Amino acid sequence: MRLTDASVAIRPRTAWEALDLGVLLARRHAGLLIASWALLSLPVFALLCLLLWDHPGWALFAFWWLKPAFERLPLYILSRSLFAEPPTLGQAMRALPGVLRPQLLASLTWRRLSLTRSFDLPVLQLEGLSGQARAQRLVVLGQRETRFATWLTVVGVHVEMALWLGLGSLFYMLLPAQLELDWNWQRLLEAAEGDWLWLEHLSNLVYVLPLMLWEPVYVACGFTLYLNRRTALEAWDIELVFRRLRQRLTGSAYALLLGLGLSLTLLPMAPPALAESSEVIAPEAPRLLKQPLTSEASRQSIEALLDAPPFEHRETLTRWRLGDDQEQASESDPETAKNWLERLLQLRDGWQHLGTLALIFEALLWAAVLALIGLLLWRYRQWLHLFASRLRPPSPVRRDAPTQLFGLDVAPERLPDDIAAEAERLWREQPRAALGLLYRALLSRLLHQHHLPLTSAHTEGEVLEQVAQFKRDDLNAFSQILTRHWQAAAYGNRLPPQNACADLCAGWRQLFPAGAAR
Amino acid sequence: MSDISPDTHSDETAAAEPLTPAPAPVSNAAQQRQRASQLAQALRVELGKALIGQQAVIDDVLTALLAGGHVLIEGVPGLGKTLLVRALARCFGGEFARIQFTPDLMPSDVTGHAVYDLQSEQFKLRKGPVFTNLLLADEINRAPAKTQAALLEVMQERQVTLEGRALAVPLPFMVLATQNPIEQEGTYPLPEAELDRFMLKLRMEYPQQDEELNMVRQVTRSPRADMLEVSPLRTLLQAKDVAALQKIAADLPIDEQVLDYAVRLARATRSWPGLAIGAGPRASIALVRGARARALLRGGDFVVPDDVKGCALAVLRHRVRLAPELDIEGLAVDQVLRQLLDQVPAPRL
Repeated sequence: MRLTDASVAIRPRTAWEALDLGVLLARRHAGLLIASWALLSLPVFALLCLLLWDHPGWALFAFWWLKPAFERLPLYILSRSLFAEPPTLGQAMRALPGVLRPQLLASLTWRRLSLTRSFDLPVLQLEGLSGQARAQRLVVLGQRETRFATWLTVVGVHVEMALWLGLGSLFYMLLPAQLELDWNWQRLLEAAEGDWLWLEHLSNLVYVLPLMLWEPVYVACGFTLYLNRRTALEAWDIELVFRRLRQRLTGSAYALLLGLGLSLTLLPMAPPALAESSEVIAPEAPRLLKQPLTSEASRQSIEALLDAPPFEHRETLTRWRLGDDQEQASESDPETAKNWLERLLQLRDGWQHLGTLALIFEALLWAAVLALIGLLLWRYRQWLHLFASRLRPPSPVRRDAPTQLFGLDVAPERLPDDIAAEAERLWREQPRAALGLLYRALLSRLLHQHHLPLTSAHTEGEVLEQVAQFKRDDLNAFSQILTRHWQAAAYGNRLPPQNACADLCAGWRQLFPAGAAR
Repeated sequence: MSDISPDTHSDETAAAEPLTPAPAPVSNAAQQRQRASQLAQALRVELGKALIGQQAVIDDVLTALLAGGHVLIEGVPGLGKTLLVRALARCFGGEFARIQFTPDLMPSDVTGHAVYDLQSEQFKLRKGPVFTNLLLADEINRAPAKTQAALLEVMQERQVTLEGRALAVPLPFMVLATQNPIEQEGTYPLPEAELDRFMLKLRMEYPQQDEELNMVRQVTRSPRADMLEVSPLRTLLQAKDVAALQKIAADLPIDEQVLDYAVRLARATRSWPGLAIGAGPRASIALVRGARARALLRGGDFVVPDDVKGCALAVLRHRVRLAPELDIEGLAVDQVLRQLLDQVPAPRL
């Protein structure tokens, strides 16, 4: 290996640049690489297909597993072409057994799933180390480039997938429309149980074909990453520069060496002379001090210059401070420790002021949030009223039964104690008022005693329907009779017969005995 | 006023007795009312024999008949919309005409037109099928808007203008239209003005299980393949009886509070947040008319708020339009109207 013969410019690159170089390298030898890959992998694939005809999935898996073995040949070609003429296809194929031998088992077993496969391959194949030395070498080389090699593999997986799917969809699109316009998937699934093996093998082939393009690129990129790492580690570029230097100077080197030797022999005479003169030039020399511009004055003027802009930038800041701050500052002791403590206290005070400010802002913000919520509630109050009331689960117990329902006073406090007696008394002068009282009392009892969820939108008929749900015949019958009389009085303007009063009052007493809880 | 001819229904119903007109003592009016109510009940029972399991719809159709309004019946195919109307026509002694609305139906096919008579050498008016008592407009939304518009005048004013002459249609006049809510292709939705002229819009739902069982049992017993027989129904009332019934219904006393409730209901739709367009004054009128008819049908002597609330949904559902945001949320008009009915306070004295 002679670095001067390298067909690529050797210099330290960034890892991404090195990958780029790999793509270029693969492109330069594309024909040879693709041909050798195809010559090796396609027969193996065909053999696998034949052997595992009934299990296309396994065939593809086996092929995929053998990929590291196929990658050896491209690497051989690349390494040969880097420092010499690329081998012919025949030479490459003849070299194949020798290339495969080192570490093939490792590559196909525990190194198979390594994400830095293409980067490790040159170490295994080209360096010919073994055992501990190889492991150390891998560790050293992989110190910095592992990340990029991993990325290369990850990207490679995606590229393979994309090419596979892309080629598959291309085939699908090339199907004539008349053949099958829309697939009946269920039928396809049923058919898949039958003789559709050839389609799966075709799909495998679609995976194998794009690999002919991608794998050489992958190997080349790993190889250039490896080269780049070695360039950095072993200073190949510097070595290269020295080599060129030597080539150029081989002739004149002796003359130069002679001249250098001569100059070195002359040099030791000079220093004493320099020492003597330095005594004279020193700035403290009396001759210089006596001059109109003394070195003292010049130093001062220099310091003044240095003190002014642009060497120094001073600015005066004026700001407001709270009074006690200054007091504390004036009280502060010159002692440094105490001073430091005072400063700390000041700092804390400052934080406290800041805290007050923050508190005010927090309060303001909370107020704004609450106001916003209130505004929204107010803005959409009708909607909420409408739709929230529907969403709410019907509460079985109405704690705050309304006192005023249907324009009637139904609060128990407002009703007389003995409803029946009061109704009988009223009946003689105002039968309608007596009926109203009875109906009012019934509603009140329904609301407060039976917890019937009545609203002002309920009509008399709906109240009766709700009462019927209790399945209490006596209450039901009484409510119906009373409602009928009440409706006749209220809407039909006709008074009930005289004997109705006695019946209703008796019914009331029977249903709601006087001592019963309201 | 009219008498109900005894020969048409010489059966057990008290409606066979003559109905004497209103100017009579109070007890007489009450008696009349009772008979009218019994007649309506008989009609209800008779229709129930033909159309099984749709008692609510039958009640609503009778409400419209008593209130002198028109009905739009909506329902999926096969629920017996047309059957109901045919059964009603069968029970009703007046004239009955049926128009099957099709996309190529012309307005003159509905109202009539002038034709040239070769013998007399002059134009003669040929009256369309609209000159009848009971008009069935089957699948009304299959005709284009111009044909639908031919019904506008006759439904509101009970007259048809032909060749510049206004011709009155015989009274009572009632249009029963059917339409199918799920089919949209090749149909023309009714315009708002046309919808507003229908007093009630009824929704036919699927029958209950036992009712459907009953219906299937009866229909499969019939020799005809898939049709319910309407021929055995008795003719219960004539045109003049219907007019008398309508008069009695219109005379039913209604309390101010109940009237106020009806108007409040109609007005509430106009400012209701879930509704884009509310109901017009026709809705209030229809509510009160409908309440009176329902009270008569119920056998009551006066109108109560339940009568108003009972027909509110049918009166209002085609006169309002849902707000677009609720439409998007998938709420139906009926749901919003039920919320409205839940919120408007009922009257109490």
